[in-house]
Amino acid sequence: MKPGIAAAIIYTSIALLGAGSFLAATTLSGDYDWVARLGGAGWVFLLSMIILMPTITPWVKRRLGRAEAREQTVHHK
Amino acid sequence: MAKGKVEEITLPVAGMSCAACVNKVEKVLKGLPGVADAKVNLAAAKAGVEYDPAACSLTDMAEAVRGIGYEVPWDRIELLVLGMMGSHCQTIISKAVGELEGVAKVEVNLGTDTVTVEYAASRISAAQIKKTIRELGYEVSDKAEGEAALDRERQARQQEVRRQLVNLLLALPLGLLVMAGTFRDYWVLDKFIPEFLANKYTLWALTTPVVLGPGRQFFVNSFNGLRRGLTDMNLLYATGIGAAYFIAVINTFWPDAGFGGEKATFYESAALLTSFIVLGRYLEAVTRGRTSEAIRKLMKLQPKRARVLRDGEELEIGADEVEAGDVCLVRPGESIPVDGVVVDGYSAVDESMITGESIPVEKKAGDEVIGGTMNKTGAFRFRATKVGRETALAQIVKLVEDAQTTKAPIQRLADSVAGHFILGVHLLALGVFLFWFFGGFNWWFDPNSHFILSPAELSGLEVFGFSLLLSVTVLVISCPCAVGLATPSAIMAGSGLGAQNGILFKGADAMETTAKLQTIIFDKTGTLTLGEPSVTDVVSLSGARDEVLRLAAIAERNSEHPLGEAIVRGAQERGLDVPAAEEFVAIPGQGVEARQNGATILLGNRKLMAEKGIGLDGLLPEAERLEGEGKTAMFVASGGQALGIIAVADTLKPTSAQAVRELHGLGMEVAMITGDNRRTAEAIARQVGIDRVLAEVLPQDKAAEVRKLQEQGRRVAMVGDGINDAPALAQADVGIAIGSGTDVAKETGHVILVKDDLLDVVAAIQVARFTMRKVRQNLGWAFGYNTLAIPLGAGLLYPFTAQIVSPELAAFLMAISSLSVTLNAMSMRGYRPPIRRGGRPTLARHEPQPHREAVRPGV
Repeated sequence: MKPGIAAAIIYTSIALLGAGSFLAATTLSGDYDWVARLGGAGWVFLLSMIILMPTITPWVKRRLGRAEAREQTVHHK
Repeated sequence: MAKGKVEEITLPVAGMSCAACVNKVEKVLKGLPGVADAKVNLAAAKAGVEYDPAACSLTDMAEAVRGIGYEVPWDRIELLVLGMMGSHCQTIISKAVGELEGVAKVEVNLGTDTVTVEYAASRISAAQIKKTIRELGYEVSDKAEGEAALDRERQARQQEVRRQLVNLLLALPLGLLVMAGTFRDYWVLDKFIPEFLANKYTLWALTTPVVLGPGRQFFVNSFNGLRRGLTDMNLLYATGIGAAYFIAVINTFWPDAGFGGEKATFYESAALLTSFIVLGRYLEAVTRGRTSEAIRKLMKLQPKRARVLRDGEELEIGADEVEAGDVCLVRPGESIPVDGVVVDGYSAVDESMITGESIPVEKKAGDEVIGGTMNKTGAFRFRATKVGRETALAQIVKLVEDAQTTKAPIQRLADSVAGHFILGVHLLALGVFLFWFFGGFNWWFDPNSHFILSPAELSGLEVFGFSLLLSVTVLVISCPCAVGLATPSAIMAGSGLGAQNGILFKGADAMETTAKLQTIIFDKTGTLTLGEPSVTDVVSLSGARDEVLRLAAIAERNSEHPLGEAIVRGAQERGLDVPAAEEFVAIPGQGVEARQNGATILLGNRKLMAEKGIGLDGLLPEAERLEGEGKTAMFVASGGQALGIIAVADTLKPTSAQAVRELHGLGMEVAMITGDNRRTAEAIARQVGIDRVLAEVLPQDKAAEVRKLQEQGRRVAMVGDGINDAPALAQADVGIAIGSGTDVAKETGHVILVKDDLLDVVAAIQVARFTMRKVRQNLGWAFGYNTLAIPLGAGLLYPFTAQIVSPELAAFLMAISSLSVTLNAMSMRGYRPPIRRGGRPTLARHEPQPHREAVRPGV
């Protein structure tokens, strides 16, 4: 899998998880209307994506690169 | 086993000469992880490599090839990139371009707005590299050199200024109209502002072109960055403007959606937020580049035309067409086109632009002239010795440009902070949102509360709107630009200032260390002193000092010993007649014996006089006194009688004592290092007020002496001749090479002084301290601003004051913060080191001046 796609899957999943948690928290506790819940979840998702994209992408690229290198070395041997 | 994608690349390899080289290169490349195959073409000097980019980078390949002794001459492109605001932009461009396939190395120089890329032309084109940078929101063009570079840069900057001015002219009036409409109901404004302006649809119609016009750049640039997984300032602006506009539109068209309703449209937030950010960009574009004005001035000095003599004909040609060896003509008022040596003629030349020397320097046959300096009075001809990139001016410009690319140690902290700033601010914005949403709003929200410096109440807001507003404000109020710009803007201005005064710092680290120096060590000979002996005292038993000197000169007339030459020169300078001796014998270790007009003249030490039976009564106390002052005393006798003493010594440079005094005034310990015996060394040290004497040190041991002082915990500078004292200069925390003249590039040392004037050592420290003071002010302001502003934006004071910062005020504060750092660096223009202020007596000539002589009365 291409590192970019792998990274996108990871950060989008985590951001969705964050937004979902927010939605769950606002549903289970407090007296929030649907605009606050959905708007808040959207804002949490957006900020989470912005935070995670530049963090996850190079991390995944590094890890996949190292794994490929290990495979190549084994292959050569 | 899953294998990565295999790609092909042609690697240029230089230095291969035979099949063995081919095998070696192929083997090393094939041995790299991720390389499937490598085939080297010796004739083409290229290696075709099949490799997996995920497992092996071009840098890995280049390093492997270099490791076995070959070169990898990548294609290279230098780009002028406008719009970089700080080290964060530096990181983004490095990352985005560095990740492109075929790019081996990226260097981003914030100071000169230059991006240098080394790449494999077989994989990527220059156009693709430019496109990538352009997509990140920067203006890109090819970097030209010299005058052409200046024109291109000026043009590109003007374009950026014009673009932001158009944005500003659209955003600011509309933003002010929106603000007027929003606040129509307050105070007496309803009497002046028409009602339709307060209509929410009018406000929407006025704000939309601002957000989609001038504000569009932030959305496009941040989107292009995000596509590559990069975040930058544009993202902060885009989320801020976008969120404010989004809430306003929802509350206009769907007032019951729960975002605060009709009273919470906040169009002025979106419009003024955009306006202030654009204002900041505009001011940044106007002021940016001015901190590098000093180097521009230097570049502008390069004359365009030259008049040369070729085949006996006077031709006017371009200065860049002058060749070494050409004879150039210079008339009064003309610039000297290239470096050279005067062949004939006489004039005074203003060299202040290169050396900082304010008084014109006299030039006659045999003197050096520097290209770019201004001829004042007379006409002369000179032979070109250095042209093009070899000239002193070109070398100085290159040196200063290189220095501006380096980073001061103090910048590392700033870079580290700025590098993680955007991410940190988004994290904080998320935290602020969650805090106010789940707790803060319920605990402290007051419907009558309002924005700081604004009468608009927050009563229409509910939990989501209020939390979002504070979150957006945090994004907008933070200013990593100020942190990123604090050090490079001041260093750039400081290195330019130094260059204008003939002081060249080889890097930002040299400047920072110079500012912190505690001990200055001067090499004695040639640095503190003129480096050649001269007559300092003439003692005569009869009172006829000139006769004593004349006889000594006659005896030494044919001598090639430096002391003898000094005596002959001393006599000639006094206008004494010095005929050649009829006979001359040098007596090793004792002196000379000569015969003239039948009389025997003896000149030498006690031993010579004792062997010749000459009594020295009356002269010995005086000889001991002179020797105590570090001078070499030689007795003169004629006709079997002692006549007097000639004292010879290496004399101090005219500014040595003043320089040492000034350094003491700056709190420095001043030391002197010399191979001379201790008595002589201490005598010299006493004359100038040196604190510490390092005597009897062999040239090869000077570096060890410097190390000893460093081991005592002192930050040490060594001042000396850049070539002879190279090891000691390299060992010192700061090596200061003095009197390089036009040979700037050859010098070792961290700081190069073009002139041979010790006061420039003082000036260098003053420039460095002044620059580092500005750096500290800038960093203090940038960190201080963010430390105060971000909590304020997050609503820290709200529970106590019931006031929050509006997004537009946040944008205004942010713009001012960034601007203040640039303005502070700009304020360095026109600074002159205190030692260079107020017409001190300076030497107007480079050659040694006649020395003051302490000619003593006869004894």
